[in-house]
Amino acid sequence: MRRVAITGMGAICALGHDAAATWTAMREGRSAIGPIRNIPTDLLNVKIAAEVHGFDPLAHFDSKRLVLLDRVSQFALIAAREAVAQSGLDFRAGARGERTACIIGTGIGGENTHNEQARRFYEDKNPRVHPLTIVRLMANAPACQITMEHGLTGPSFAVVSACASANHAMAQAFEMVRSGKVDFALTGGAEACITVTTVKAWEAVRVTADDTCRPFCKQRRGMVLGEGAGVFVFEEFEHARARGATVLAEFAGAGMSADAGDIVLPSETGAARALSAALADAGLDANDVDYVNAHGTGTPANDPTESRAIRRVFGAHADALCVSSTKSMHGHALGAAGAIELIAAIGALREGIIPPTANFIDADPECDLDYVPNVAREKSVRAVLSNSFAFGGLNAVVAISRAT
Amino acid sequence: MRSVQETIFTIISKEAGIDPGKISLNSTLKDLEIQSLDAVQIIFEIEDHYKITMPDRDPNFDTESVRGLVEAVERLVSEKQTATAAPSAQG
Repeated sequence: MRRVAITGMGAICALGHDAAATWTAMREGRSAIGPIRNIPTDLLNVKIAAEVHGFDPLAHFDSKRLVLLDRVSQFALIAAREAVAQSGLDFRAGARGERTACIIGTGIGGENTHNEQARRFYEDKNPRVHPLTIVRLMANAPACQITMEHGLTGPSFAVVSACASANHAMAQAFEMVRSGKVDFALTGGAEACITVTTVKAWEAVRVTADDTCRPFCKQRRGMVLGEGAGVFVFEEFEHARARGATVLAEFAGAGMSADAGDIVLPSETGAARALSAALADAGLDANDVDYVNAHGTGTPANDPTESRAIRRVFGAHADALCVSSTKSMHGHALGAAGAIELIAAIGALREGIIPPTANFIDADPECDLDYVPNVAREKSVRAVLSNSFAFGGLNAVVAISRAT
Repeated sequence: MRSVQETIFTIISKEAGIDPGKISLNSTLKDLEIQSLDAVQIIFEIEDHYKITMPDRDPNFDTESVRGLVEAVERLVSEKQTATAAPSAQG
């Protein structure tokens, strides 16, 4: 069977505007959660998030182009540019674009556009809606924009599964490259969900914290919204080798499952089935894995359930695993979460440094794994699993291993 | 006007799909086998009905039991009435 190499990565999130800055912050255990500054907070009860700050869209796109781009597409394009540049591939050369898929996850799509046009319409009573509203807000816009910028003409679409969108998208791209349907893929996730109405909607579910995100610890009070994008270049392994590309990691496998249970409550067995399927798909033994980047939202329900699922799958090896939630630093970027977290997984694999779970105070007896509290740890890492478990019980776990 | 207790019993019964006769002041939402999402909807309907904001995880408010909900609503409604009455009293 063909193998799949990751030969480029790009990211933008609250921790940094590129993958290197994002990884450095993760390694240092720096949390980017803070008071919301990009939107008015007078109507909000939850006034914290992990926002992208210091970001000037005009530094990346000319004004003619920008009018077509919701913030979510801007993030996706910036991450894709970085990934493509790192890969050293020119997708317009030869027929390469035809052999390339573009599969980008998003939970909500162009929410800033939707929110702003609705506000003008209902609040300002302005009957004129911007003619580019639809092309900006559609959930497939990030994927389309990337294909147009890089000349990708292979199978391209968006994947939507709330908080697991990026992992589901990458699992699909991996399958396509592995099966030979394509030779390359640009894949990942993007989200720009910090608008007044989305934050209000999350408040109403009563799962968001008002202090900060403290996954797995006793004082945790819920999740904190984040935003950003992560995009990767997947490439058939032998092709990458033959051209002397730097292989950041091997994308080894993916496992997916549905709980078919509750619309919000997580399921231990559903999560465990996705974890086991990822190991099997990657041909990994539980003992081969040294780090699990957890879904770790910091909600009362997720963290103990996820911990039990990990213990169920890893058995005695669960006590030797490092498990951390980098959402404590970059927030929960919903449909981009799995992609931003793959930056953490690749960093751990390449540098032998486990990014910590920040903001950790006291252990919770219901969460009994090694969560690498507050300070990164040096550890040789052979393989990593990265978890995403969405509302609606849709689970996707991806596995990466060292490129050998 | 219906009492707070009566209104809350009706909301719980409707949102959780349970017989109002099964609800008592001494029940907890857990006893009534009300799932978390139903509980959140119950609190939303109460807030929307009385135009109040129920506290989230405030140790001074018990939102786990029916009695706690009734007492919390009575307290918040009376605080709201005092607040709206205050300006005219000054005038």
